[in-house]
Amino acid sequence: MSDIGRMLPNEKPEHPYVPFSYAGSMFGNFATRFCSGCGYGIIGHLFTKIFEDEKLDPHLFPTIIGIGCYSQLLLIVHTKSQKILALHGRAPALATGIKMANPNMKPIIFSGDGDCLGIGGNHFIHLCRRNLDCVIFIFNNSIYAMTGGQGAPTTLFGAQSTTTPYKMFENRSDGVELAVAAGATYVARTTVAHPRTFMKYFKKALNHKGTSVIEVITPCVTYFGRKNLDSLGAENREGEGEKMDTGQKMIDWIKQNTIRRNQAKLMTEDQLLNKYVIGEFRYQTDKPEYSDEYNKIQKFAMEEK
Amino acid sequence: MSKINSKRFLSPGKHLMMGNVAMSEGALSAGLNYFGGYPITPSTEVIEHLAVRMPQVGGVCMQMEDELASINSVIGASLVGAKSMTATSGPGLSLMVETISMAANLEVPFVFCDVQRNGPGTGFVTEPHHNDIGLVRFSGNGEFQVIALAPMSCQELFDLTITAFNFAELYRCPVFILSDAYLGHLHEVVTIPPKEKILDRVIQRELPPPDEYIKKFTYKDDNTGKYVIPKPPQMGTDYCPGLLLHQPHNYEGLPTPKPMQFMEAIMDKINKNKDKICITESYKLKDADIIIIAYGLPVRASYRAVDIARKEGFKVGIFRLVTVWPFPDEEVMDVVKDAKAIIVPELNYTGYIAEQVERVTKLEIPIIKIPKVCEFHHPDDILKVIKEVAK
Ligand SMILES: Cc1ncc(C[n+]2csc(CCOP(=O)(O)OP(=O)(O)O)c2C)c(N)n1
Ligand code: SF4
Repeated sequence: MSDIGRMLPNEKPEHPYVPFSYAGSMFGNFATRFCSGCGYGIIGHLFTKIFEDEKLDPHLFPTIIGIGCYSQLLLIVHTKSQKILALHGRAPALATGIKMANPNMKPIIFSGDGDCLGIGGNHFIHLCRRNLDCVIFIFNNSIYAMTGGQGAPTTLFGAQSTTTPYKMFENRSDGVELAVAAGATYVARTTVAHPRTFMKYFKKALNHKGTSVIEVITPCVTYFGRKNLDSLGAENREGEGEKMDTGQKMIDWIKQNTIRRNQAKLMTEDQLLNKYVIGEFRYQTDKPEYSDEYNKIQKFAMEEK
Repeated sequence: MSKINSKRFLSPGKHLMMGNVAMSEGALSAGLNYFGGYPITPSTEVIEHLAVRMPQVGGVCMQMEDELASINSVIGASLVGAKSMTATSGPGLSLMVETISMAANLEVPFVFCDVQRNGPGTGFVTEPHHNDIGLVRFSGNGEFQVIALAPMSCQELFDLTITAFNFAELYRCPVFILSDAYLGHLHEVVTIPPKEKILDRVIQRELPPPDEYIKKFTYKDDNTGKYVIPKPPQMGTDYCPGLLLHQPHNYEGLPTPKPMQFMEAIMDKINKNKDKICITESYKLKDADIIIIAYGLPVRASYRAVDIARKEGFKVGIFRLVTVWPFPDEEVMDVVKDAKAIIVPELNYTGYIAEQVERVTKLEIPIIKIPKVCEFHHPDDILKVIKEVAK
């Protein structure tokens, strides 16, 4: 348990941001509990890089982490950021309390596809509806990874998981469209295979006043890749292809199945069935932000006779 | 946090108000800065009243999307230094237990007003029924201790809410106010003390001096062997662990390989301070051989019954539990040791407190329960039992 240091590799990689990470600052090594080939490591280090480069004030940018494999991101995110582990799905609600009690803060929320669109769907909708100033990441690996590979609301059509052993036939929920419909004012989707866009969107979200939703498509090799063929998503290739049992294969698959937003506009619904459309879906700066509006009410009520 | 605003306190003197409002005003006086709630009968007046009052004092009243969100936002607000609370009824409490258990682990102070209504299920929503007593005691997965206070009048709803906030600050555990559908909707005169008197009582949320910054969670002092409960950590300041995990942790918040020590810390901080937490009241107990043990509204009927019975020559007295949880074992044992019989009138069928009395007395003294559901105890109900056992 607390002997995390022992479980970590001793190699000292030359990654320049390792010393800034939580475990890196404690043990001086590259600490991760993720499977090899997992996308969360990339996300963690990109986060730490931005946190360090943008010189974010750790007192004003708390990190609220939901429950899933990505909870272990706490080992890689910037050591100075104040991190709190929320309950499964409840991170947006916890962040609302934090933001409203201290409006100078801008919470950064980590959540997964199961966390945010499954168990915590309602909180997510209402966070977006209020347009509360915060950044929420949805890490979409198309599976419930932490509990061992069960079907998620985002699992692709025809994919296999431990709870959809024959095939997934449910409709897939789309975090981005949900966020747009619910009223979030900055909504974007990117993948771990596009780190530069990730950084661009994250920086933009940090400077945006309102709810920023960034969905990140990330590979889960262990529970999604090993069970599914790389023909998933490709048209007329059912049953063909090979298992995606390495990180490289999954990253290639993600790249093959991502479509830029302007391209997607020319495609039919059928063609987009198991694809990920990436890009910015909404950027609106003139919508009122909740804590600002509440502050106006407070001012009025305090002065009222 | 926010400086004290003149609108925070009502003018001193007598005010006619509803129980739910008295509770809300008590909370405001205690320095409430964040309220998160979701409407539910019979607690709705709390959120309605605070929606008006919180902005006036620079605080926040949020109507969240459900009870899960309310309680999580309350914990979030408390973590950044706001005194926070929520109010709900049984069905809402049922939804909130997961988060209460998390808060108990992180030792986040907050106050919880449970305006109890009939159950199970939806029940009769406007009827009083003290049926959450057990749920409150075990309000979440895992082992932890809670404090629960049971007022019996609007005045007490005001006063005990301040006590509840103080307990939350001191002991950093979930603190419940056990109200009910009648008490919450009862209109009574409440005497509001002058602002200075209230402020004297209130324990403010403060950061410790910087040299004490290292200790953040409850720990056992090696020299004295006593449990030390440091002031609650505050996110957004240096007095906060870099990582807040709801796992067995040491005083710095880091995961500990000794879960037993953690368990002892969060259980014993309450067990070892019972003398300060357990508030009780005695009425005509000195020579009594029949003892009524009660809490909440049934105490009022018991007073009347005892007065009549005393006139008729029965030696009967009342031991009132203001603090229901933790249960004051030693005090009860002391009070009942020479008793002939114990009467426990409760506004529920099970007799949650009667069970505790049975445990403490090891069934050596006869215990007569007077269960009532959705209705008051009439003094005659209690008087009848007194006469029967005196025979
Ligand atoms: C209330 C509750 N129910 C269930 C769980 C078990 N659980 C932990 S993580 C998880 C799935 C997380 O999936 P996702 O958010 O997609 O994250 P991933 O593991 O895929 O990164 C579940 C069901 C829990 N921790 N709490
Ligand atoms: S199970 Fe999947 S998501 Fe979890 S660490 Fe392994 S690869 Fe990553």
